[in-house]
Amino acid sequence: MTSLKTRFFGLELKNPLIIASSSLTADLDKIKAFSDNGAGAIVLKSVFEEEIINEYHQVAQNKVESHFDEFMDYFDYKIRDQVLASYGRLIKSAKEASKVPVVASINCISAGDWLQFASQVQDAGADAIELNLFIMPFNPNRKAEDNRRFYLDTVREVSSRVKIPVTVKISSYFSDLASICHELDGEKLAGITMFNRFSSPDIDIDKEKVITASTLSNENEHLLPLRWAGILSPRLKCPIAASTGIHNATHMIKMLLAGASAVQMASVFYKKGPAHVAEIIAGLTTWMEKKGYESIGDFRGHLSLTKAANPALFERAQYLSNFGGYAGS
Amino acid sequence: MTDYSEILKQERNADWRVELRNSLANKERVALERVKMTEAEPLERIKSQTCEVNRGLTADEARREASRCMDCVTPTCIEGCPVSINIPKFVKYIEGGKFLEAAATLKEFSALPAVCGRVCPQEKQCEAKCFYTQKMKKDAVAIGYLERFAADFERNSGKIQVPKVEKRNRVKVAAIGSGPSSLSFAGDMIKFGYDVTVFEALHEIGGVLKYGIPEFRLPNAIVDFELENLRQMGVNFEKNFVVGRTASFEDLKELGYQAFFIGSGAGLPNFMNIPGENLNGVMSSNEYLTRVNLMYANQSDSDTPVLRGKCVAVVGGGNTAMDAVRTSKRLGAERSIIIYRRSREEMPARLEEIKHAEEEGIEFMNLANPIEYLANKEGRVSKVRLQRMKLGEPDASGRRKPVVIEGDIVEIDVDLAIVAIGVSPNPLIPACLKGLKMSKYGTIEVNEQTMQSSIPEIFAGGDIVRGGATVILAMGDGRKAAGSMHDFLKKKYNL
Amino acid sequence: MNKIVEKQRLSELVFKFIIEAPLIAKSRKPGNFVILRVGEKGERIPLTIVDSDIEKGTITLIVQNVGASSGKFCNLETGDSITDMVGPLGKATHIFKAGTLLAMGGGVGIAPLYPIVKAFKQAGNRVITVLAARNKDLLILENEMREYSDEVIVMTDDGSYGQKGLITEGAEMVIKREKVNECIAIGPAIMMKFAAQLTKKYEIPTQVSLNTIMVDGTGMCGACRVTVNGETKFTCVDGPEFNAHQIDFDEMLQRLRAYKNEEDLARKK
Repeated sequence: MTSLKTRFFGLELKNPLIIASSSLTADLDKIKAFSDNGAGAIVLKSVFEEEIINEYHQVAQNKVESHFDEFMDYFDYKIRDQVLASYGRLIKSAKEASKVPVVASINCISAGDWLQFASQVQDAGADAIELNLFIMPFNPNRKAEDNRRFYLDTVREVSSRVKIPVTVKISSYFSDLASICHELDGEKLAGITMFNRFSSPDIDIDKEKVITASTLSNENEHLLPLRWAGILSPRLKCPIAASTGIHNATHMIKMLLAGASAVQMASVFYKKGPAHVAEIIAGLTTWMEKKGYESIGDFRGHLSLTKAANPALFERAQYLSNFGGYAGS
Repeated sequence: MTDYSEILKQERNADWRVELRNSLANKERVALERVKMTEAEPLERIKSQTCEVNRGLTADEARREASRCMDCVTPTCIEGCPVSINIPKFVKYIEGGKFLEAAATLKEFSALPAVCGRVCPQEKQCEAKCFYTQKMKKDAVAIGYLERFAADFERNSGKIQVPKVEKRNRVKVAAIGSGPSSLSFAGDMIKFGYDVTVFEALHEIGGVLKYGIPEFRLPNAIVDFELENLRQMGVNFEKNFVVGRTASFEDLKELGYQAFFIGSGAGLPNFMNIPGENLNGVMSSNEYLTRVNLMYANQSDSDTPVLRGKCVAVVGGGNTAMDAVRTSKRLGAERSIIIYRRSREEMPARLEEIKHAEEEGIEFMNLANPIEYLANKEGRVSKVRLQRMKLGEPDASGRRKPVVIEGDIVEIDVDLAIVAIGVSPNPLIPACLKGLKMSKYGTIEVNEQTMQSSIPEIFAGGDIVRGGATVILAMGDGRKAAGSMHDFLKKKYNL
Repeated sequence: MNKIVEKQRLSELVFKFIIEAPLIAKSRKPGNFVILRVGEKGERIPLTIVDSDIEKGTITLIVQNVGASSGKFCNLETGDSITDMVGPLGKATHIFKAGTLLAMGGGVGIAPLYPIVKAFKQAGNRVITVLAARNKDLLILENEMREYSDEVIVMTDDGSYGQKGLITEGAEMVIKREKVNECIAIGPAIMMKFAAQLTKKYEIPTQVSLNTIMVDGTGMCGACRVTVNGETKFTCVDGPEFNAHQIDFDEMLQRLRAYKNEEDLARKK
């Protein structure tokens, strides 16, 4: 009997297919469908500190007179309460709708708030927490060291406060990615998910407007987490989940071979719906049976940096022989 | 408004006004310094909850201060007043020694001038628009002190002018809550000839004027005096009555009530939801002030207890926080500390209150924000962990946003913590009305011109509509609602 | 206003009062309470409405003399008036056809339990009532409970009446012998905590009625706050009844002690 069990989020998951945080995972019907179709775990749509800031802006715009100063003074707390209460309700409903673990996802940009968010989602019954740690490096005054300290302090504070497992989802915007992962690893995380995928700006040349590009990933994007799963998985104590551009069983298997313990997927389900989960799981099972693997552990990491026959390809940044006569000068 | 400015113009040209203006040259008026309010001595006044800090102007002081007013052609002060009180007229009456006429003028616009004269933030309203402030960068005419003077004079003279009341039309209306908006509403409706009953859930009438604002700022006797006036005019008060619970709106309609004004206020405490906030010794400002101001818990013969602290922290920077921290001092605290996450300059409390608080020995910890309360072995708060803040960019409200200084955390000893970060509309009454349109944050949605809610016979005003604002705005709402309800009922019942 | 029309002593420290309150009698539902004050300097105290008579326009309150304020009330006589009384407050009990209700009442908690037992019986439920008191003399409302219960089991600490043992022992006996669909437990906070633990073991949905400190009773001050299912709730407007298995009883018990020093001092006076 083939076992698809794997460990991530500090939990034993029945298979490595995690539904990533997206608008799909704010919809209770879809959450139930993902669970029914066999997903290993579900990460809820993120609760954003920005929601609070935006809501505050909206209310404050109508209350600029001085007699509202006292009323507006701590109004952000009220908004935060509402946003968190609403998220708490989502967590509770999701837990009722789903038979698999439900993970809360938190997006904060200032240090103090993570703690409150984390406590509240724990109280609401989340099985684990995913902290979205990414600061786009577009602030010229903020150095890498500042971000590093922020990430570590946040993880440390949250881990010390909550009893449920804590994981992080990071971006690839690090010049010292291996180093930062090592440091995060030291904080006894229940997992690192690489990588977060950002929305991109785009330009409409007819309207001459900046717009948001389509947010769905394309397949080739999976090569980025593939590289890093291969490089980092043998070196880190905590498990890795690969994310971005993983659209089918083949991609998932690649990640597992590279050393990831799980994958997070979202984009493909926008097109193909939650029922597609069953197909991907079936794809994994078929491959394992064909290869004679009885468990994930039988093949996970076999092609990682330390195990693969030609690991240098993980670390190679330049194109060489592919370009034939174009290969350097 | 054009009618009003015409009236103002005409009044300004009245003989007595012209005479007064000619009696003193503007140059001499401007040369006068703004009057200094006599205040009770700080170390003495903190021994008593009921010793009023501002002692009031004398008649001479009042006339002198009134003479500073230059009776501007365009009185910008009125623009600053939420209920457009005819300020030049009452001020000039005072200058001319006609104090009762000044009081009568005030009463045309404001139901509770003795209250507003004490608690209005004039420095942000009328006085901010005074010619002195705007054009001369000098101290404004002390309009607030003068309003208080006139109201107090009338009360003390015993010559109370009971306003004219129209013939009774026997139509019953109800006000829910007995705070400033309902009292104001009741005052107008009774004049229109209606049968008015004010329903109050607590055992004392006056709402926030009684349970919220301490007596060292607003003596209860003053509120009671105004209430007595309303009783004299025929307003009924029902205490210990929660509309929607003691009797439903339907029950009241069966008893003949045709329309309702909801002025139930913002009596829902806001907490920060940080760890330790439910420890013994951590309470809302509503609870603390209600125990002291309403239940007299500070007095030895009261059955209601209040927790006293040696080292009391009050979180917040508004007038409620000031009230709570100054009360704690009067209850014997050795240290009474304000903890506010922005700077001193950004505190929304009235400058006068901050000044009085400082004189009384209140400490100010600015740019600090609680993140956790810690307990002693008995489960009583013993410390608070504070996050140090710095000021960042201005946010949408125009004030600089407090930003966390990562890793900068301090702990201080406290044995009593009061959370005074604001209040929200109390949901009890709205919950009893199906079909009442509410906002996301619990306020009743009303037509801004008429104060009418989504249910035609229900009007609302004050904090239950605004979220949390001032006494004078609540009063303005009450008056507006009364006018609209009168129109509504006139049409409905052919009055 | 609020005149006492009848006073009856139920036990050494427990008194029953029938009070004129026509509006409250008409609007009141089982589970509601009033807040009252005795004297101009009186403290506001909550008391569950035990019964009401709409025709006579009266309500019944039962109070135990445990301190200065309750003591003042207990000292009032027929014909006296209660200075202030407001109600009905709190959310009414959710009465429904559950099947079999296990009702647990400890000490003076039997009083607020009575209207709920009555309503559940009238709604067609089988009602097994377990009452507990320290001894026979302190047991109240036994006959009234018998009128609306299929069975009443009495537990006393000293065995002077009924069975010797704790209320939870009597309750567990019932649970083990028959299917219980719903449980209501009212009594001292510590009793409700253990009752909740018991029924959680057997997965029986359980409501308790909390007796927190209150000041205004209308949701204005937060003195009565409790943590239910990780969220802060106000006993006076969200309760007084809550899902027993979701309540942070330890926090509630601690908060009940908030004024212990002040109360001790008052009693000495």
